[in-house]
Amino acid sequence: MAEKRPKAKDVMKQLTKDYYGGALRAHEENKFIAYTTAVSPVELFYAHDIIPIYPENHSVMCLTGRMMPRLSLEIEKRGYTSHLCAYARSDLGYRELGESPIGGIPDPDFLLACNAQCFTLTKWFQVLSRRYGVPVFVFDTPQYIRKDDARKNIIKYVEQQLSEMIKALEELTGRKFDYDRLREVLGYSAEASRLYKEFLDLASIKPSPISIFDVLIHMAITVYLRGTKEAVDYYRLLIEEIKAERVSKGIGAIPNERFRLYWENLPIWFKFKDHSEFLAAHNAVILTSLYAHAWSYDFDVSDPMRTLAENYTSVFSNIELEERAERAIALFRQYSLNGNIMFLNRSCKAVTFGVLELKDMITEETGVPALVFESDMGDPRFYSEVQIRTRLEAYLETLDRLGVG
Amino acid sequence: MNRGVLDELLSIARGPYPLLRAWKKEAQRKIIGSTLTDVPEELIHAAGMVPFTIVGTNKPIIKASTHLPDNACSQARSDLELVLTYERDFFDGYVLPQVDDTSQHLCDIWRRNVPWDYFESFLLPRQVDRPSARKWLLDETLRLKGSLESFTGNEISEAGLWESIGLYNQNRQHLKRLYEMKRTSHHFMGNREFFDIIKSSMWWPKEEHNRLLERLISGIDKTDLKDKGDEGIRVVLSGIVWEPPEIMDILDESGLKVVGDDLCVGWRYIGADVEMDGDPLRAIVDRHFKKGPFTPINDKGDRIFENLLDLVRQNRAKAVIYFHIKFNESQDYDLPDLVGNMEREGIPIFVVETEYQTTHLAGVRTRIQAFGELLAEE
Repeated sequence: MAEKRPKAKDVMKQLTKDYYGGALRAHEENKFIAYTTAVSPVELFYAHDIIPIYPENHSVMCLTGRMMPRLSLEIEKRGYTSHLCAYARSDLGYRELGESPIGGIPDPDFLLACNAQCFTLTKWFQVLSRRYGVPVFVFDTPQYIRKDDARKNIIKYVEQQLSEMIKALEELTGRKFDYDRLREVLGYSAEASRLYKEFLDLASIKPSPISIFDVLIHMAITVYLRGTKEAVDYYRLLIEEIKAERVSKGIGAIPNERFRLYWENLPIWFKFKDHSEFLAAHNAVILTSLYAHAWSYDFDVSDPMRTLAENYTSVFSNIELEERAERAIALFRQYSLNGNIMFLNRSCKAVTFGVLELKDMITEETGVPALVFESDMGDPRFYSEVQIRTRLEAYLETLDRLGVG
Repeated sequence: MNRGVLDELLSIARGPYPLLRAWKKEAQRKIIGSTLTDVPEELIHAAGMVPFTIVGTNKPIIKASTHLPDNACSQARSDLELVLTYERDFFDGYVLPQVDDTSQHLCDIWRRNVPWDYFESFLLPRQVDRPSARKWLLDETLRLKGSLESFTGNEISEAGLWESIGLYNQNRQHLKRLYEMKRTSHHFMGNREFFDIIKSSMWWPKEEHNRLLERLISGIDKTDLKDKGDEGIRVVLSGIVWEPPEIMDILDESGLKVVGDDLCVGWRYIGADVEMDGDPLRAIVDRHFKKGPFTPINDKGDRIFENLLDLVRQNRAKAVIYFHIKFNESQDYDLPDLVGNMEREGIPIFVVETEYQTTHLAGVRTRIQAFGELLAEE
């Protein structure tokens, strides 16, 4: 009898458990822990047998576990303001109170802050650097402006920093860096990224077998395990499962799909399940976001340093607004989107400060009206339930009146 | 002291635009605006144009909030408002530096919404303690040089660049001389007057500004430097800008005498000179790395705190006054540790949250006065 195929969700649970379990044992096993940012050349850590830990991911668990504003209030007492990133606030709060949904994360031996994603991380990691007495390596990625001469120089600068980072890791561990191992790790990353994108692109099918809410759950693996064989196997399994269980049967993520929506920004983590159910009741489903595509890398394994530099510098939060709009508009076309929800996230200045401009650019090009609202991705004090629900309802009514879908 | 020259400098600081418009008409020179901080002005000058450092506006915010959310740093919103509403046609072009998320987005928003004949983003390194930062800044400075040359159609010659560097060094040296006089004599010049003179330097063509400073300095005599009564309480200023300007008047009224600072519109602008040796572009880049720490730029260890501690000790200051711009994220992250460290060293630190467009300063006045009284009692 054929062995029963495991469910992707169960595999994810086990991978997560193993990953954090391994991390918690790292210091006992004489391994090093590096804190890093979700968009960063994590391949260097895997290639050098250093365990990368993402305080952002841990913060997401705190936010979905509704541990805010408690964690934030703790650090507000210590002089930090409630305007800061909710990830940073919940992380710094966790460090004071020791409260965590998974029993905590190990302390760092090394801090890597890649500013392609945001500048906040540098400042947040500086606070951690002072707290733990470990250095913060700022992996500096200047805005990838659309000028050939600038881009050539930027990539050269970022490649130099990869070499500097390798040197720093060698100094940390006392071991020589293994470039062959880097190629192997990058091969896994390239394949996991390709498969992750294939998974995201399933949302272009009508009705879409997945929603952004599936994406937000399953993206975690590529965020912290890209560079491993487990991540590759995981996305293969996930895609096969969705194809077998939904695509082949024409089953959509929601029963009566009418409004296929784009979402700009990070999710409101403590509300995303509620939003999913609320929208489904109105025959609406959010399918994609540039945020989700931040991990759709296209690595060229033949030139590791260059491809790492190019991919991590050109992420959507580090390009000019016009190019960011073009990428969003391409998603509207590829996924046949007919609605646009643009969230002004008080927590995330890096993604949010361009949104008002972006709205005009996308609307002008696609003709799809947009809903813009302000809240916070992690702090319920900045979330107004009634106001946001009313605005969502009014927006869907507008789409209905316009005969969309 | 030549009061007439001083008044001329102060009038530039207190209303540069009408004066510079008149000057521009006469001189037929293009004006290139830059936001804070660290754009190599010498290059813009050597390209035949006049660099101007934009330091926001205290006039009401009207249009900026439709482009930037209201939790963007007050500095960024005011800079944008200035060029969207109040001085839309004043500048011929812009070189905007990027150091953080806000300044990065500001470049895009500015480029798309403000009229210009020339626009360039200047991508400063956001780390300074590794060799790659210097190489990068040299590449970026070379790119800026090429871009300015394409705009003007004229090559920036090495001799011309040295000439501009000499002019800017001279200006910095004059200002540092005035600062030294302010430090060492009890009542030579008030805080507002001195920092207004630095502002005027950021806004007025350097050739003319040097002439004004030379006349001011040559007119200083012994009676100006003679100590009269109490010196006041020696303090160090920390932060980026001092806005709204009345805040400096409050320090004067409260008997707080500034003897050192790390402001972008203060020592960061005048402290380091360009070494007049070797290749001029490399020399300009070297100057960048001679400057003190700046909050968005990652540096070795806890350099912001250590630098501030040195400033206090070297200048025998009694306390630190920190100007915190509302919604400036970088300062938000620094402050709790900075305050804790200063307190551990036994150095009083007073944080003033400032915001452009603030009109009611009564609360700030009372708190600064109380801080001054407390220091006086110690």
